[in-house]
Amino acid sequence: MSRTAIDLSPFSDAIANRSERFIRRVKKQKVFGWFCTYTPIELIHATRFLPVRIYGGMTTVEKAGTLVPNFVCPYMRTSLERAMRGEYKYLSGVIQGYTCDISCGMMNIWAENSGLKTFHTVPLPYNTNDSARDFYRKTLNELIDKLNAAGGKFEMASLSRSLDLYADIRNKLLRLHELRRQNIFNPQARDFYTIMEAGFCMPPEEYMEHLTKLVGEVEKLKSNPVSGIPVLVSGSIVEQMWIFDLLEAAGGRLVADDLCNGRRFCDPADGQGKDPLDRLIDRYMHRFPCPARSIVDDRVPRVKQLVEESGARGVIFLFQKFCTPHLADYPALSAALRDDGIAVLPIEMDESGNIEGQLKTRFGAFFEMING
Amino acid sequence: MDNTQKTGKSTKRLATARELQQIVAEFYLEGHEAKRTGKPVGWMPPMNGLIEIFYAMDLQPSFPENWSPVCAAFGLIHKNYMTAESMGFSPDLCGYLRNCVGYINGLMGEEGVPLNGLPEPDMIFIPGAGCVPAMKNFQYIARRFPNARVFKADLPQVPIENIQRYHIDYALSEIHRIVDFLTETTGRKLDMDRLAEVVRLSDQSCALWDEITSYRRCIPTPISAAEVGLMFVLVTRQGTKQAVDYLTKVRDEVKQRAEQKTGIIADEKVRLFWDNIPLWYNLGLFNYFEKYGGVVVAETYSAAWSIRLDTSNPLEALAMKSLQSYPMVSCVSMQRRKDMVLRAVRDYHIDGVILHSNKSCLPITLGQMDIKRALEKELGVPSVVIEADHMDPANFSMSQFEDRAGAFMEMLLQRKGRS
Repeated sequence: MSRTAIDLSPFSDAIANRSERFIRRVKKQKVFGWFCTYTPIELIHATRFLPVRIYGGMTTVEKAGTLVPNFVCPYMRTSLERAMRGEYKYLSGVIQGYTCDISCGMMNIWAENSGLKTFHTVPLPYNTNDSARDFYRKTLNELIDKLNAAGGKFEMASLSRSLDLYADIRNKLLRLHELRRQNIFNPQARDFYTIMEAGFCMPPEEYMEHLTKLVGEVEKLKSNPVSGIPVLVSGSIVEQMWIFDLLEAAGGRLVADDLCNGRRFCDPADGQGKDPLDRLIDRYMHRFPCPARSIVDDRVPRVKQLVEESGARGVIFLFQKFCTPHLADYPALSAALRDDGIAVLPIEMDESGNIEGQLKTRFGAFFEMING
Repeated sequence: MDNTQKTGKSTKRLATARELQQIVAEFYLEGHEAKRTGKPVGWMPPMNGLIEIFYAMDLQPSFPENWSPVCAAFGLIHKNYMTAESMGFSPDLCGYLRNCVGYINGLMGEEGVPLNGLPEPDMIFIPGAGCVPAMKNFQYIARRFPNARVFKADLPQVPIENIQRYHIDYALSEIHRIVDFLTETTGRKLDMDRLAEVVRLSDQSCALWDEITSYRRCIPTPISAAEVGLMFVLVTRQGTKQAVDYLTKVRDEVKQRAEQKTGIIADEKVRLFWDNIPLWYNLGLFNYFEKYGGVVVAETYSAAWSIRLDTSNPLEALAMKSLQSYPMVSCVSMQRRKDMVLRAVRDYHIDGVILHSNKSCLPITLGQMDIKRALEKELGVPSVVIEADHMDPANFSMSQFEDRAGAFMEMLLQRKGRS
């Protein structure tokens, strides 16, 4: 039962019917998939293609299990499973920013086994100096050539328009994050992340229309505080919304996140530069960092700042099992949070979902401990 | 858990392999001597051209990643893992990472550590390429040694077949940045003539290694994967005369064995290929197959360390090396890796392939099923998947290995009519 009276059906419908919508869509526009939020989706959109995030979700892994070992993260295994079942036949290919080892390797597995045509990984720089920017620009030019070869038509003016559109979307999403923090917009966490996820599987123009309407309605809300212990969740992608339900049922209230299907997708909304490509580069170079693309000591203060601003009293780490970047940052990040008196709880999510009982107990104990 | 059944040293057949222990000891001794005399010590990942620059500038390189196999050989890993786990590192993380952070936050500096352990770093190089565990490893090293100067390196990560001029230019710009950093930090300047000499020696080592491996085409093979410890010189001594001298001796011995048709075992019946990193705590596994008349003739691991360099253009040669070595053996360049395995299977007359599904190294493990399929389809060569871990014996079961490897060997013998 939704906690908000605002109609969220345009978002939930988009998710529920994503395959049917895309199958219809490809008749008039090519669709490209992406895994990671470091993928320059504005550029894909500017070449007149539709970028959509590849969904994994919960499903039994059979075919993918014959191609990759079981110590690959659930997101990558379940999305490969869907590809092997033919659920992504509507994609013309996959474009990816080089982030973790696994997404890079899985691109090659997809290329070999999915039957899709176009695959491209953008080799992103780690540094932000002038030569790194110059290099970044060249990698994007190479991507443009590839997209043009796939039937796209790139123009700087269209990139400028795409950047404007995605900046508007990201600003609206950041506004929703802020209103949630202020305890004004209080949907259940599953609803909040449904709004986020809809953006990954909807044409951005359509998504923007729904978001504008939603934010307009939310802005009219009066403060309606919801009780619960404020927590921040940190991790890569969380597709299992039922985990949020358990968290809330145990007495928690999600006030902020460090997720790639949350804040990391939209912070910052935009970049600056002398031309649209520079603007794109600036945004991605200065975006809220993922552990796969950052040094742990650069990331720790950013997360701590989020915790402080949000008033979270605890941080719940929702790891995709076997996710090296997040697991590797955990010791430094959790120690820094504990030093600040913030309670931490690490949870590993697998593809089976058979952790409900364990989670109930652990969430309950965690909130009880915070309450002292 | 009974670890005794999981650990074991390999039986080496080369006389020159016996010198290796001394070479390893000298390398670590040299590191401590450098520390004592004030020669700057830099901790770095291997495989990227940094080592040649270090030797050319008379600086002391140190390789924490390479220290991990040494820890495995000396039985230090369990204690290091315990330390890492107490800090919050998941047992699902790479064993190199866990061993290294465990060591630097535990045993390091304690009395009685074999070879006196690693010398403290004056400089730390955090890589911006290679695998994520390697990057995180150096990030934690930098936290542990706050007084060391830190260089944050960057490098394009692209499949070898897609390398373009702009990738090389960026790698080159990073090399120039590294040289500037070293000059500023140590006060030493890079002499280009000296670098040319180091690059020439590095290339010579690779040429020697290529020649050594070429003798693996011989039946019986004069050298097997049980001698993989020889790689220590290619990992730690690239660009030095020591490496060239030692590999020359190894080459001479291997050549002589080939000419005299001296095999690893008396009756070589089955020739095997090992894909992925060896089990450092159990190199004796390479000898396991010998009771069936099997010899592990070749392996993927050594390929990444032998990259020929264009000696006429030393800096660009190092840039090219840095771009190629990791993608060559990982999932960055899967097509290239598949081609490499298939070529090795043809060149070395391989009968069967062992695919080590390595919990500690997903970047090398990913794609093995595609390699398996290509081996069957294109060459009709069977393969077997062995689940293990190059650093953590907890992820390896000797009895499961014996069941699977034994059945595989029986099948191969039957195919060859040698059972």
